[in-house]
Amino acid sequence: MDTIRQQTKLDPITLEVLRFGVVSITDQIDANITRTAFSPYVYEYKDFAVGLVDVDGHLVAQSTGGMPPFVADSVGTAVRDGLKIYGRERLFEGDVVVCNHSAVQGQHLNNTVMYTPIFAGSGEKTLIGFFAINVHWIDIGGVVSGHTTDIFMEGLQLRSIKLWSKGEPIEEVYRIIENNTRQPVDLMGDISAQLAGCLLGRDLTIALANRYGVDTFLTAIGIILDQSEAASRAAIRAMPDGVYSAETFLDNDTVTDVPVPIRCKVIVAGDELTIDFTDIAEEAAGNINSGYFGGGMTAARCAFKYLVMPREPANEGVYRPLKLILPEGKIISARPGSPMGGYPFPLPSVMDCVIHALERAVPDQVTGAHFGTHSGFMVHGRRADGSRFLGHDSGHGGWGAGSTNDGAGPFRTMAHGDTRLIPMELQETILPFRVDSLELRADSGGAGKFRGGLGFRKKYVILAPCLLQTNVDRTKFPPWGVQGGKEAKAGRVTLYKTDGTTEVISKVKNYKLVPGDVVVLETGGGGGWGAPSDRSLESIRRDLTRGYITPEGAELDYGVRITAGEVVRK
Amino acid sequence: MAYVVAVDIGGTFTDLVAFDHDTQKVIYTKSPTTYNNLVEGIVDCFGKGKIAPADANFLNHGTTLVINALIQRKGAKTALVTSAGFRDVLEIARANRPDPFDLHYQRDEPLIPRELRFEVPERTDFKGNVIVPLDDKALETLAAELKHLKIEAIAIFFMNSYHDPANELHAAEILRRLLPDVYITCSTELTREWYEYERCSTAAANAYVGPQVNTYIRRLESEFQSKGYEGPIFMMGSNGGLLSVTRTCRQPIALVESGPIGGCIGAGAFAEALGFDNVVAFDMGGTTAKCALVEHGRFAVDSVYYADGYVKGFPVKSPVINIVEVGSGGGSILWLDDQKRIHVGPQSAGSTPGPVCYGRGGTAPTVTDANLILGRLNADRFLGGELTLDPAAAMKAMSEKIAAPLGYPGDQGAIEMAEGSLAIATVVMAGAIRRVSIEHGLDPRDFALFAYGGCGPLHACAIARELSIPTVIIPPEPGNFSAIGMLLADARIDNAKTLTGLLDDKMVETMRHQYGTMEDEAQQALAREFGATEVSFQRHAEMRFRGQRHNIKVELTGLDSVEAIHDAFTRDYKRRYGFADSKAPAEIQVLMVSAFAKLRRPDIARLPRRAGDGRPETMRPVYFGRAGGMVPTKVYDRGALPIGFAASGPAVIEEYGSTTVIGPGDRFEMGPMGEIRVNCTGK
Repeated sequence: MDTIRQQTKLDPITLEVLRFGVVSITDQIDANITRTAFSPYVYEYKDFAVGLVDVDGHLVAQSTGGMPPFVADSVGTAVRDGLKIYGRERLFEGDVVVCNHSAVQGQHLNNTVMYTPIFAGSGEKTLIGFFAINVHWIDIGGVVSGHTTDIFMEGLQLRSIKLWSKGEPIEEVYRIIENNTRQPVDLMGDISAQLAGCLLGRDLTIALANRYGVDTFLTAIGIILDQSEAASRAAIRAMPDGVYSAETFLDNDTVTDVPVPIRCKVIVAGDELTIDFTDIAEEAAGNINSGYFGGGMTAARCAFKYLVMPREPANEGVYRPLKLILPEGKIISARPGSPMGGYPFPLPSVMDCVIHALERAVPDQVTGAHFGTHSGFMVHGRRADGSRFLGHDSGHGGWGAGSTNDGAGPFRTMAHGDTRLIPMELQETILPFRVDSLELRADSGGAGKFRGGLGFRKKYVILAPCLLQTNVDRTKFPPWGVQGGKEAKAGRVTLYKTDGTTEVISKVKNYKLVPGDVVVLETGGGGGWGAPSDRSLESIRRDLTRGYITPEGAELDYGVRITAGEVVRK
Repeated sequence: MAYVVAVDIGGTFTDLVAFDHDTQKVIYTKSPTTYNNLVEGIVDCFGKGKIAPADANFLNHGTTLVINALIQRKGAKTALVTSAGFRDVLEIARANRPDPFDLHYQRDEPLIPRELRFEVPERTDFKGNVIVPLDDKALETLAAELKHLKIEAIAIFFMNSYHDPANELHAAEILRRLLPDVYITCSTELTREWYEYERCSTAAANAYVGPQVNTYIRRLESEFQSKGYEGPIFMMGSNGGLLSVTRTCRQPIALVESGPIGGCIGAGAFAEALGFDNVVAFDMGGTTAKCALVEHGRFAVDSVYYADGYVKGFPVKSPVINIVEVGSGGGSILWLDDQKRIHVGPQSAGSTPGPVCYGRGGTAPTVTDANLILGRLNADRFLGGELTLDPAAAMKAMSEKIAAPLGYPGDQGAIEMAEGSLAIATVVMAGAIRRVSIEHGLDPRDFALFAYGGCGPLHACAIARELSIPTVIIPPEPGNFSAIGMLLADARIDNAKTLTGLLDDKMVETMRHQYGTMEDEAQQALAREFGATEVSFQRHAEMRFRGQRHNIKVELTGLDSVEAIHDAFTRDYKRRYGFADSKAPAEIQVLMVSAFAKLRRPDIARLPRRAGDGRPETMRPVYFGRAGGMVPTKVYDRGALPIGFAASGPAVIEEYGSTTVIGPGDRFEMGPMGEIRVNCTGK
């Protein structure tokens, strides 16, 4: 193989310095946004992503933290729409464009990309790319909670709108935004952090390109993408060729009570991997739809990255060998206008399904399914003094076991990353409930040579009237095991009323709770890996000592007998 | 003779610096760290320096004991006693995955396994009302079980105890009575801030290291007392201040970053004495490089620290100087991945086998090998000649593992790639400095780079150029600098307490009372523990606008009206976010007090330097790609350079334990305090 030096005039050191340089710029802007943003979605949940995109709208570098669904290239999608609308000739130095449009981004309308073109070089300046940042805008209008039947009920849409033109703010656009949100102070604060990030990122990129020369910079970008592509192709080549498939179901689409099929076919051929979603559910009446890029492409790229290329920095090169077959009108390629407020809910199951399909191809790399559902728990209402409260809590569940390790967790889903749970001591001061316990849920992890991770059980005692919204899915289709591993327990929400009756309320909207009600949120576990009979007695003993499994569970799942504290195989 | 002695136990060496107040003489010694019995290494250092413990008045001591016990899991057999329903708080943690695409991501196991986490009936609500009284009987039964299990340490953590610690303290009292030989700690003795997981994790960590630290300190005390030492022993706290032995025994977790702090204090003290407002303290050793910002002699102190890092580790609510660490040190390995991309670290060759040039069996080229190949290190004078380096072996490894596969043949190719590898290491380290600056909203160009540690002076000028930092300062004895810093530390106590509510007249009154109580407590503690008579205080608070969820830390020292506090808050808010609504109501979240007492410390201007070995300056070829390749370069013995001496780069300045590289275009001068001052703005 020819070396880089022989192929191009670029030496390997300059290449490395530039590679580090572009990722480092996105990471610096990430740190800057975290520091300056207003809303907790940004600095606490890291619900944003910073990216450098090339002149055609392809991702070159992205900040290393951030939410998985953004890492798939949410920023490039917006830039490509801007290029289609304006063309390069009408995107000027100092322009700043915003886009949250459902037909482009295909996600809920809060996710808004802002970007600015980067012109570098001395004398006649050259367009070398775009600096782009996707931020979850805290509120963009639309209904607060409950059912939506089209996108227009979900808020303001901005399709590739210039916020700044040639270095000057367009005050009318600011006024439109400011007057279409319930939280203008926080949103305008976040927007100014997002804008400052775009402009600083642009300037740092210009300085880097000018220091090494625009030609060298662009050559390096080309090589960086090619090398990532080569790494990706090498990883695919190591997988056996074949056509692999899997299916699972969501419980329902929140409107009708019919299971929603999630099906995929994965074709490994040489150094290319194709994900075919032709047989996945049609777009839904409920608002759990997403668009081609924001849904299907995002899930495909995330699953690919989880399984095949976890260590490679996210850029277009990594994804070049990944092909997608996805006709329009499916739940993850919904038509413009479809309701998308709950767009992320199916995505963890879609990612799980793609990974499951590859079980036969790479049995040692796949894991059992994870609990895979957002498991939302939201209360809202008014206090005695008339003021409103609204609190989002969420369930964290078990992850699947792998070929060398038990499953971990409880964590949030594959569509989340560095998202931290809210401390109970904080919740109790602002919301009308007391938490009576939070504990690991014994026996919830799927049995196996390696056991799936555990879900948890959280008990809320309601202290004042409020309305509850829950969202626990996959209760009828629990997380599966792989390679002979067993399925995990599914999640559920149970209401214990003061009159002694109980009710399962795993997916309800605006359910009235009264003081004294006790609600128990149980989250699902992760699937096991390998036959339970292959699990070492030592591991079973440890799980018993720790209470990760109960004696009854051990006898049932692992076929052991426990006599006088000793564990023996039956 | 009246010595003030500082001892810093590091991963490889135990360093001692002693300053004699009578003769103004300074003694530096170094011994290998003795892991079996750390006290031996200290005694050895005293012996090497011919210092009789009876002649010493003060002993300041930093050690990596606590962090090593936490990371290597070598602490005590510890149990958790907690409110019914909450034993899994410690294991569930915050349920986040900082490494987003790792399907197999797992956090480090909790310090206390589930079978040793016990619940007792007890509950306080969010207002501080006890809604379930502590069940004494249940606790007594539990005590018997803990005794049976031979538990060595107990952490007590109750929900909402930040509001009212009564139940925790009551539980501690019962357990201390029933289990007098067990080390017992409760969460509110360490922090009065809310967030259950963080407080629980802090208590668990403190209990876990408690017995070991107590044993160590008792051994150290008795060893030195038996040798005639009559002075106090002070421990180097992670907050940048000294701690008494009594406090350390109760709160050993305050030593969690004891090691690297000395250098920051030293950097702050030197910067102040030299008239630099702002410096970046940059410490590069064998495995990592660390940096911290020092503004006006003060460093940012974080209120939460992650032992073993944020990605997999656990939080400790204890004030720690904000230090950013990257995996680039002298031993960092240079390697190519499948796509032939060069990487520097984070794997390190450590001291065994060490870099290839050590000749101890290392085969992977390292940063140190690259420095040697380029002529920047002296093969015969490494560590004062204690180790002879093998340049040919380094060259061969660099050529075979890196240069040849990239299409750069021969020695020339190896040399070019060696310099290139250092260029990559430079941008990575500069990136860390840039990041810590940006997180604080500062521009690194406004800082001077203050470099120490064995490898810091080798790379400082290149990093400064990368960041457009105009001035580099290399203090005297960069290899021992952390211990020197410990000589200069003051006593410090930090306390924090959650107090939430709207900022109004009533709140200001409550705050005045609360701050007063916290300061009284701290003052009494400093008087008791240090005999301090003069104590100064800083007040801070975590504040936010009403309805928001994020806090900023605001200094409130001397402010005691709603208006003044609100002004300070909006001013800081604006500085950070660009704008602030000066009329919007503000809320208080957490009150913080820092109390300082000055101790008798040496005048740094008088810290003399080690004498040189009288060797005249020599020349040797050193590679600088920027200057066209191997160039004849002057090599100075640092001890021989008089104050005021100035020259232009390229140059190499050698001393025991470190080497300073001055690049072409740089100009250096020996400053008034024996520091090397480098101007890196030249072409």
